[in-house]
Amino acid sequence: MASLRDSFAEVLHRVGKEDPNLVVLVGDISHFRLQSFAKACPGRYYNVGICEPTIVNMAAGLSKVGFHPVVHTISPFIIDRSFEQLKLDFCYQKLGGNIVTVGSAFDYANLGCTHHCYGDFAMMKTLPGTQLFYPATEVEFETLFRQVFNQGTLNYFRIPTYGHTHEFKSQQIRCGKAIRIQEGKDLTLIAVGSQLRTALEAMEPLSQWGVTVDLIYIHTVEPFDAALVNESLFKTRKCLVIEEHSVFGGIFDDVLRASHALENVRYASIAIPNNFIREYGTYQQHCQRLGFSVEGILKKVKDELLNYSEVLNNRLSP
Amino acid sequence: MMIMNIELRKRIVELITNAGAGHIPSAFSIIDILAYLYEHVLKFDPKNPHWADRDYFILSKGHGCAALYVILKKYGFISQTDLDEESREQAMLGGHPDSTKVPGAEASTGSLGHGIGTAIGVALGLKIRQQKNKVIVLIGDGESNEGTVWECALVGANLNLGNLCCIIDHNGSSAQIMKIEPLKEKWEAFGWEIYTIDGHNEKEIAEVFKKIKFDYTAKPKVIIANTVKGKGVSFMEVHGPWHYRAPKAEELELIYKELDSHQV
Repeated sequence: MASLRDSFAEVLHRVGKEDPNLVVLVGDISHFRLQSFAKACPGRYYNVGICEPTIVNMAAGLSKVGFHPVVHTISPFIIDRSFEQLKLDFCYQKLGGNIVTVGSAFDYANLGCTHHCYGDFAMMKTLPGTQLFYPATEVEFETLFRQVFNQGTLNYFRIPTYGHTHEFKSQQIRCGKAIRIQEGKDLTLIAVGSQLRTALEAMEPLSQWGVTVDLIYIHTVEPFDAALVNESLFKTRKCLVIEEHSVFGGIFDDVLRASHALENVRYASIAIPNNFIREYGTYQQHCQRLGFSVEGILKKVKDELLNYSEVLNNRLSP
Repeated sequence: MMIMNIELRKRIVELITNAGAGHIPSAFSIIDILAYLYEHVLKFDPKNPHWADRDYFILSKGHGCAALYVILKKYGFISQTDLDEESREQAMLGGHPDSTKVPGAEASTGSLGHGIGTAIGVALGLKIRQQKNKVIVLIGDGESNEGTVWECALVGANLNLGNLCCIIDHNGSSAQIMKIEPLKEKWEAFGWEIYTIDGHNEKEIAEVFKKIKFDYTAKPKVIIANTVKGKGVSFMEVHGPWHYRAPKAEELELIYKELDSHQV
């Protein structure tokens, strides 16, 4: 199966052939993957160098003269290192552009803190008008990218190394709209990006517990689909969010803000604790340790969401 | 001593006095260069500031914006009322230029080391389309402490952005903080075409722009303009106390008196 990074390169190739204003700037990442774009779109591909703030800054200059720039490199080098360029050169000046990163959260598990980035959505949400996406399949990326890349907004796409395998049709994907994957009445499970994979795996054991799940999938972090979330919480009054992001400033915060007027709702979250990840190992090991697992979901549901009486009534057999 | 643009200098002082604060010496060190650029070098249309065939001037050292504002007023981009209202709550003009509000201000600058990156992108975009617009960016020598300036120096040369000219307002600010000499040799080593002028001498400014060919197949250019912070008012020609303040009434009188004394 092609990686999402390969898919990203193929999508740029397709869209670049259609739109002569698409220009790609990279910081020496995915250089070989993007050669098909470079050949098909001469003069519109630049491996600028290892100088991310300048890449972002010059992309804003390209936008100023009418291009639709795509800046691509590893998440922390754009979001953390080049934040002021995103804020001032793009966002404040209302210039449109596209940031497409790999290596968000802990995808580069064993490379340590320098290559981790799990506060990206929190930081980017402070930039008014910015649109944030976490597409975890090719069809999601291509559909969302085509919807927004030339619309004059600053768009951040975080592309995971490990996506999910749920199949969407492009007609299902709309910027700013969450997707109800499964209807249920006992629990709202909100899965963001790649963690739809884990959420889907948890459906069977939750079903065995007698818990019917309203499964909501979020590919667009901003604008946040408060309407669908509230509709679901109004029904279930129980909510678990699973997201590969810091416990601060992710989708869980958006859910709380959107639904605070609803009474008697229980909330739980599986996210990255407010602490540096200092371990190495693999992505899968990080997931297991941090609770991004079926066991993690079941434990949260049992410990924080279901009524004690329900446990006593033996609905659960963990 | 020959001082040019005395009336523009007075307008800068008026503007900052009305506003209650501002960077007079930083504006005085660049006003002669800006006056020449807008009179003789740049193509623009004040009625259509986004005209596609215009040349781009980006003031990267945004704190020198009083010089840009009085020039934009002179050529009809903005009005006297706009100048008079600078820094008021709902004003168009503030203490740094804002591209979202000010016609003719190509970039919102103030945080140093940004305007030059925007200029690199604009120059690259024009080169991709093979358009002939010039791109001129003005940075400070203090601003040249910023790492992004040197990233841009690498990138501009690597991309052969010969349609780009970077003017360095070399007014000695960096020397107060950090040694950046030899500036000429540094930029030369980065691969730019170098020129050095007296930034207060109209003849030298004119000659350098006769020599420079804006051609996107050539090297980018850098003009090291030796300037004096506060040029034209002796007691402001220092680093420190006058950097960011407005004159008091009695100081205002002395400033005007000294500027008038330069009138031929």
